Amino acid sequence: MASSSIPAFDSNELKELKQKLVDGCHILDREEVTDGYGHVSVRIPQTQAFLTTARTSPGCVTLDRLVMLDLDGNYIGGVNAPPFEWPIHACILRARPDVMSVCHTHSKWSALFSVLKGGLHAVHMYARFLPSGGPPIYQAAGLVTTVERGIALAAALENSAAVLMRAHGDAVVGTSIDQATLNTIILAFLGELAHMAVAHGEPVYMTDDEFTTFTSDRSDPARQWEYYASRIRDRRSP
Amino acid sequence: MAAGKKDVPKIDSSELKDLTDKLITACHILDHENVTDGYGHISVRVPGAEAFITIANVSPGCVTRDRLIMQDLDGNYLDGAKTPPNEWPIHSCILKARPEIVSVAHTHSKWSTIFSVLPIKLKPMHHYGKFLSADGPPVYEGIGLVRTVERGNELADALGKGPVVLMRAHGDAVVGESIEQVIERTTRLAMLGEWNHLALLHGEPKYLTAAELEVYNADQRFPMRGWEYYVSRLEGRK
Repeated sequence: MASSSIPAFDSNELKELKQKLVDGCHILDREEVTDGYGHVSVRIPQTQAFLTTARTSPGCVTLDRLVMLDLDGNYIGGVNAPPFEWPIHACILRARPDVMSVCHTHSKWSALFSVLKGGLHAVHMYARFLPSGGPPIYQAAGLVTTVERGIALAAALENSAAVLMRAHGDAVVGTSIDQATLNTIILAFLGELAHMAVAHGEPVYMTDDEFTTFTSDRSDPARQWEYYASRIRDRRSP
Repeated sequence: MAAGKKDVPKIDSSELKDLTDKLITACHILDHENVTDGYGHISVRVPGAEAFITIANVSPGCVTRDRLIMQDLDGNYLDGAKTPPNEWPIHSCILKARPEIVSVAHTHSKWSTIFSVLPIKLKPMHHYGKFLSADGPPVYEGIGLVRTVERGNELADALGKGPVVLMRAHGDAVVGESIEQVIERTTRLAMLGEWNHLALLHGEPKYLTAAELEVYNADQRFPMRGWEYYVSRLEGRK
């Protein structure tokens, strides 16, 4: 896709998307899923470019602390300070045309299950968006600062909605900022639940069969988004 | 090397203003992040002098500018509020033994305390633990407060060349080359302690190996990002 079709960073066309990205970051901070690190990205529709935070804590991000990059990591607009781990976003967005948004956090619960031998299995129907065996784990330690490691991470993610990153955190994807953000929150909730359950002994996990047959309505993420957005109302840019 | 006492700037001098502001903020951060309780203290070396500033027998969360004290490395009073913390030797003995160290934090962190009394070590299982060795920090076994130079020297010996020493049935001492680095390390040590605790309830986790710690990339060049984040969380405190 020609880069000429990418709207300018400051264009009106991107305003809503940028605000939603900032909201997504503030929601993950407010819900204590992320700490001072981590980032959210969004693909600019119909282009080979994305927006993310410019080396800023999700909780501190504002509309003027974003950066626009192409899928090779080249700078296109905004603050020229791409996050060190931009390949997480670029490589997943390239490998997964269905994905519009990627969240990377150091979620305590993802970090925990990333170093456990048993995996993160489903103990709540909220896990419906994950593979029935739990999210895959990317085993290589350390930051994902190269395209080579980004590609390895995307390969570990495969067709899943989330991948745990060993001794690090997670990457969670969605078809919108809303979905990626909500999936990240749900993943943390599932991690906490599984942790608490395992402390009592082996829980009754959901089976593969149950996974494919039960209903779990995810057709209306707007309700959840409205709820979490209501919890950051005081942070919203004027 | 010792600057004469006459060369030590006054505690309320403009040249120490930034440093003392930062020291107060650092105390408030450790309080706000629930790493410290009503006890504990942070110190900072006075640049170019054989002296340090710490908090004058006050809780980190309650410290204000008029409750700072300056002492020399033998514990003699130099300036500021009159009441040294009982455990001033923690600071003076470590600052004397480690000329490269600029700041020392001592807290009763719940997570350091628990690992100080367990047979199992607090080991890196997240890249936040990059500053630690693979087998975790040493433990100073002497019980009780460190109120004498003799005990301060023992503590400094237990710390050795490392960034952290756990203090049995007590807490920890964390050192760094700046106040920001000490805050990053102290908060991360607490996170790692919590995550180790959670993981160990499931069995032996896959720790980061010495080889992984050696080679992987975990960016610690910019503690300012974490600092900005923690400062942002203090908003509204006054």
